[in-house]
Amino acid sequence: MRIAELQWEVERGGKPGGTTLAMTFRIPQSAIRILVALWRLNVAEELQYRANFVASLLGTTFWIGTALLTLAVFFRHTTRLGDWDYWEVVVLLGVFNTLTGVIEAVLRPGIGRLAGEVKSGGLDLVLAKPVDAQGFVSFRRLDVWRLTDVVLGLTLAGYALHRLGRVPSVVQLAAFGLALAAAVVVVYALWVALMSLAFWFVSVENLSVLFDAVYEGARYPVSAYPGALRFVFVYLIPIAWTTTIPASALTGRLEPGFALVAAAVAGVAFALTRLLWRTALKRYSGASG
Amino acid sequence: MTRTVDWLRRYGALLRAAWLQDLQYRASIVLWLLWGVTEPAVALGIWWAIAADGPVQGYARADFARYFFALMLVNQLTIAWDSWYLDSWIREGELNFRLARPIHPAHEAVAENLAYKARTAGMILVVWLIVAAAWPAVRLPFGAGRWALTAAAVLLAAALRFFISFATGLLAFWTTRATAIMELHAGISLFLSGRLAPLALLPPAVARVAGFLWFPYMLAFPVDLLTGAVHGAALLQGFVGQVVWLAVWVGAYRLAWTRGLRRYGAVGG
Repeated sequence: MRIAELQWEVERGGKPGGTTLAMTFRIPQSAIRILVALWRLNVAEELQYRANFVASLLGTTFWIGTALLTLAVFFRHTTRLGDWDYWEVVVLLGVFNTLTGVIEAVLRPGIGRLAGEVKSGGLDLVLAKPVDAQGFVSFRRLDVWRLTDVVLGLTLAGYALHRLGRVPSVVQLAAFGLALAAAVVVVYALWVALMSLAFWFVSVENLSVLFDAVYEGARYPVSAYPGALRFVFVYLIPIAWTTTIPASALTGRLEPGFALVAAAVAGVAFALTRLLWRTALKRYSGASG
Repeated sequence: MTRTVDWLRRYGALLRAAWLQDLQYRASIVLWLLWGVTEPAVALGIWWAIAADGPVQGYARADFARYFFALMLVNQLTIAWDSWYLDSWIREGELNFRLARPIHPAHEAVAENLAYKARTAGMILVVWLIVAAAWPAVRLPFGAGRWALTAAAVLLAAALRFFISFATGLLAFWTTRATAIMELHAGISLFLSGRLAPLALLPPAVARVAGFLWFPYMLAFPVDLLTGAVHGAALLQGFVGQVVWLAVWVGAYRLAWTRGLRRYGAVGG
């Protein structure tokens, strides 16, 4: 029995009068209800382990400290990195940390577990549910304490902006908001694309390591890298859009209108990974007994 | 004599088991390898950009390239994941059957390290040779004596990192955050062991602090030896430092092992 097909049947039947196109991004109201229910459960669970909050806070502070010291070492020997000065790179670091928060709170505990489930056949249980499998796999968990990274990251970006002596206009802030939202979508698309490989390479349980390897490049502005690598980071593995673009929008390095380009890139990335996910899922035939 | 033969047989069996186990997870191992080389690759990219206008305190672009290629290799040869293994062995009760065997569990860990490192460092070496064929910057001058010294320093560094990782992992007898302590150690070693930059490029005060601790002997010293940056008195001092800190960490391991086992209440079946 092709479980992937079964899942689509269930979904089609579940929507009264729904004309299901091959690519619908419509979010039914029930999906939001399910999401809220799942996350409320997660939060209630996490609230029992408040020590984790302190551990998470200490971990993030330590990480930000390490990253700032790293920059200090580089800037002992230069005044600009890829034509960015110190505090501009710190703004970027703040964006990086904000996205890290989203990754650690939602993506790693959710879609990050996909490879293991494809191997063990645990995905059967997901596909048997009358919900969108990609959505469920991606957003089923919320490790709420890791959202401290988002708060600390935005604070850091704000402080660096203050040190730069720049007060962003409303338009710039809006552009930053849009670019940051686009960055979240691009990060999500990268996770889906990399984790979908699990359907081809079933035995690789640590696939999420591949994301960490790629994302390591996003710690610095892409202009700091040699030309060929820069091309890769903008067009092929689009990590330039995760940190460099939102940080540029905030510091006024880019025209606010460029945020629309970022949004378009995010849209394309999302559509492509949605397509990839469907293709990948067709390869799945279940493994559990 | 028979004792030596016995040990060779034991290690033969352990190595074979570890090698076959890794073979099963070879795709995962390639990913860990990739993950391991991205940090030095990104650092090289940044230093490459900084050195565009000329050498940085005597380090030209080619020097950075050689340094970080050597770092990738030495890091892979000396890395030790044992904290993570021990943490799960102790917490999940997987230590029990290992204690019941007539051989100390550390030998299994040593064999695993040898098998893993032979495989992964071999891969790095092949890639390095291919890159060096096209890119003269990363070629190392041949020197049999220097390579022999480097091999000795790498061996000592691998032993040092093994005992640091093993001893820290044993903290799982007392706390559930042993791996967090190891990550803290990794964060500090980013600077003090030379993973981010050659120690000469750190602020002098930081480099001096590093000199009083074990960190430079884990990586920076064998890397500098391989690239040819260490000479004369510094060479001797490096080896002395490695031996002294190795002795200290072996002591720490023995203390943690004997004390820890005494309070170990086995979990699981």
